Amino acid sequence: MRLPPQTDERINRSEEVVFSFHGKSVRAFAGDTFGSALYANGQRIFSRSFKYHRPRGLLCCSGNCPNCMMTVDGVPNVRICAEPVRQGARLVPQNVWGSLEHDALAVTDKLGGPFTPVGFYYRTMIRPRWAWPLYEKFLRNVAGLGSLDKHAGRTQRYDAEHRRAEVLVIGGGRAGRQAAAEHAATGKQVVLVDEGFAAPIDGVEVIAPGRALGIWEGGLVPVDSGQILYRFRAEHIVVATGAIEQPLVFPGNDLVGVVLPDAVHRLVDDWAIKPAERAVVVTADDRGREAAAALRRAGVEIKGVYDLRRERVREIVGHGRKGMLRSVEVDGRNVRCDLLVMSGGRQPAYSLLSQAGARVEYDPERGIFCPTDLPENVEAVGAVTGDGISAAVPAASYNGAGGKGKCFVCVCEDVTDKDLKRALGEGFDSIELAKRYTTVTMGPCQGRLCHLPSIRLYARENESAEASIGTTTARPPWGPVTLGLLAGRPHEPAQRTSIHHRHKEIGARMMWTGTWRRPHSYGDPEGEALAVHASVGVIDVSTLGKMLVVGPDAADFLERLYPNRFGDMKPMRIRYGVLNSDAGRIMDDGTIARLDGETYYVTTTSTGAGAVLEWFEWWNAVWGMDVEIVDVTGALAALNVAGPRARELMGRLTDLDVSNESIGYLDAREGRIAGVPSLLLRIGFVGELGYELHFASPYGEYVWDTILDRGEDLGIRPFGLEPQRILRLEKMHILAGQDTDSESNVIEANMPWIVKWDKDDFVGKWALDYVRSRGPREQLVGFVTEEARVPPEGAQVVIKERRPVGRVTSARWSPELRQVIGMAWVPPELAHDGAQFFVTIDGGFDKAYVRTRPFFDPDGNRLRS
Amino acid sequence: MTQLDFLSPDLATPDLAASAAAWRSPLERALREAPPGVSDVSLTGKLEVRGQLDSLDVDGIELVRIAPGRGLVLCDFTKTAAVREGLRSEFFVIDVSAALAGLQVQGETLMRRLTDLDLETLPAIGAVAHVQAYVLRDGGETFRLFFPQEYGHYLAEVVLDAIQGLRA
Repeated sequence: MRLPPQTDERINRSEEVVFSFHGKSVRAFAGDTFGSALYANGQRIFSRSFKYHRPRGLLCCSGNCPNCMMTVDGVPNVRICAEPVRQGARLVPQNVWGSLEHDALAVTDKLGGPFTPVGFYYRTMIRPRWAWPLYEKFLRNVAGLGSLDKHAGRTQRYDAEHRRAEVLVIGGGRAGRQAAAEHAATGKQVVLVDEGFAAPIDGVEVIAPGRALGIWEGGLVPVDSGQILYRFRAEHIVVATGAIEQPLVFPGNDLVGVVLPDAVHRLVDDWAIKPAERAVVVTADDRGREAAAALRRAGVEIKGVYDLRRERVREIVGHGRKGMLRSVEVDGRNVRCDLLVMSGGRQPAYSLLSQAGARVEYDPERGIFCPTDLPENVEAVGAVTGDGISAAVPAASYNGAGGKGKCFVCVCEDVTDKDLKRALGEGFDSIELAKRYTTVTMGPCQGRLCHLPSIRLYARENESAEASIGTTTARPPWGPVTLGLLAGRPHEPAQRTSIHHRHKEIGARMMWTGTWRRPHSYGDPEGEALAVHASVGVIDVSTLGKMLVVGPDAADFLERLYPNRFGDMKPMRIRYGVLNSDAGRIMDDGTIARLDGETYYVTTTSTGAGAVLEWFEWWNAVWGMDVEIVDVTGALAALNVAGPRARELMGRLTDLDVSNESIGYLDAREGRIAGVPSLLLRIGFVGELGYELHFASPYGEYVWDTILDRGEDLGIRPFGLEPQRILRLEKMHILAGQDTDSESNVIEANMPWIVKWDKDDFVGKWALDYVRSRGPREQLVGFVTEEARVPPEGAQVVIKERRPVGRVTSARWSPELRQVIGMAWVPPELAHDGAQFFVTIDGGFDKAYVRTRPFFDPDGNRLRS
Repeated sequence: MTQLDFLSPDLATPDLAASAAAWRSPLERALREAPPGVSDVSLTGKLEVRGQLDSLDVDGIELVRIAPGRGLVLCDFTKTAAVREGLRSEFFVIDVSAALAGLQVQGETLMRRLTDLDLETLPAIGAVAHVQAYVLRDGGETFRLFFPQEYGHYLAEVVLDAIQGLRA
């Protein structure tokens, strides 16, 4: 099958490459593609079609059509006509039940045609409704392309690289290369990308293979070079994507052996293969004649050349056997052949230009769509502009379908001329609607081979001009791209506290909270919670948002932001604050410590830190107050030491006087903890005597280790987030974002005391005043149940008629109280101690009783001790 | 009036400040087997300075302008206290030495795999592997990144992985 050495052949006959196809070894030469090697070895059927499972062979040899797609080394939908051979590669056909030659699903072509017209599944598979998932599964199994292994790991490494170019040339043909050289001669930094092979150019960086996937704003052009996605930012873009050969539409136009002219040139000139024994050429431009010349050089017998520009051909029919071309019938004259070269002219490949913002206009003289009105930074050169494309309008001669058999307008999606006519008859009278209904132009070729034929057919059927039919929208990506390349490396940004690794070393089970990694527990959540009540525990709370508000207007600034008061605080005192939106809804909560007259230290929830910082900065910009806002979240590690023996432990760590008289509840102090300058806050989220220590993050592990070391004889235990949640629930302390949602306000969340109505104004005051005047519609309360099982968060609160009236926001088993405790939103009439309701759990109902005061230490004696 | 000493790691007792026993970089574990060309520069004095920066003139420091009235001052860690005190009379100064991790890397191609910032117009602030970072170019192919320390381990892993990709 190989010809003697050709002048410009790309194969290296001295270097052999062996790969496997369907389990058999195939020998190739370096420079071959998988497609050319298989063709040289006698393989003619390369795939089965999307819907009808018709045999399909090489059609374009340019990487445009879907006919040669196979799974290569586990990667589906690889166009093997353009994929260079690799030693040891494994090729497997796809969308086949059986083999390429004997596909059991080819029965759909024989029997299914009349029953499976375009859009049949919208009409015939709608009843019974419950069966749709079964239909869908069946359809997905019998139609389509290659399949992904959902459980497969990454098979290749993909990277992304950000690049800049003064001039980016897309397309390495003659015009693209000339443009690149000209720009380089002016001293510009020029990069040229080409989908295939491109020789070096002086002064130009050439990336080949490299496919531009689209053109976005700001000159952003992603380029797929296989395993690297280049994200180019180009000041000037030159599009030289050339033109694409168009097929003709006639019965049998998809038979194996029907090819476009470029396929002939590649087979003969690049890979030195004799494509067939006998050939017929039907052409609407000069390219068919050029292909005929190439075939003659290769020793192929030319049985006929039909030039549609000169001959009034009325009917072309391809006849085949088992999907292979056997003869061509032209106006009733049957010609035996095993190759049919068809050429319907060329269409400029304008999609990238269209994406960049160019308009597209129809040129009736030449029968093609050409780009116009290019954006300022975009230039088009060569055939993509329409230059050099001769008239190929088969107006006075053959113009498409006729005769018996399927005429494919779209080989990707198996859309025939009848499908389009049917869509038109059903009222889908614009090409955009036809695209959505029939999926024409939506397949792997993205309209390269079917866009122009479908518009021509619509124009003919509508008896209107192609210009009035218009075009479908060109969207990125311009070519197929692997999901792996788009996904890139599997890194997930994670925030870790400075004590993170120590937690892991002592057996913490880590969990995500927002983007933070935090210890869920150290293996015994209930034991850890009990240790806090019994002796002392320590938890890493470095994830808390932390901000400084500094300046002469700091107090006024906070007074305006919060519903409670901060201007009257004495230095080194702490107050709880709830941040409201201007609609009076709870945004976040935390503590605010006044460090001196002009300095406040604000903490927020771990996941709310970013939003609170933005909120503060936004209002500061609006009010223009003399305040500096500084995010110090990452600068400081924070530990909460809590439990009845916490003071004893603190006495071993600092020379500060930690007595209750010196540092009382809600007091703050600056001092050294284990030699490290720290801010000490006496607060108690977990309900026991507690100290929150904030200090420079690089000392996180050192202070943590020191605390555990000095507290060992006191029975200290580290505790994680889960025990903390049990402990805070015992105190009925809310978790903003869990016990509250975007509709919650402080009045209904059982914190009306926090609103100081006598303040002139604060963010959300008007809205809260409205809530006060209309009265609460629901209330956040605590509850206990009689059963030991814990209702899920989100469980319904139900009253006796089984009517849902509220929801559970938090629930835990309290090992200290030996019962299930929780919080729930209930109607106001249930918001009193002892009120009874039910919570849904495992399909049943557990009786629950309302509690309005903390479950543990309701008077806060331990907290203040 | 508070001096916010708890923000300043250099103010720990002398036996602790920057000592291997107590001071720990967020990059330390990730960079234990780092290839040549990658180094941890977290132990740098870093001060955020706000005010009229045109008048800022201190020997031995490096000023990275963020905005007209905002900049990052970099200095020798052991000199942080002196620089901080010197600037406080004229500027609003916050010690961010503990807030930012520092990483020095080699190679323009490596940087292109990490950020879409224009490497010809540094210093600048922008996303490096999704993390907001100060990016400085020390001439040639040497770059320094300063970014929130809580992302330190993540970013160090990304950098090492990118280097591995370049060697593949």
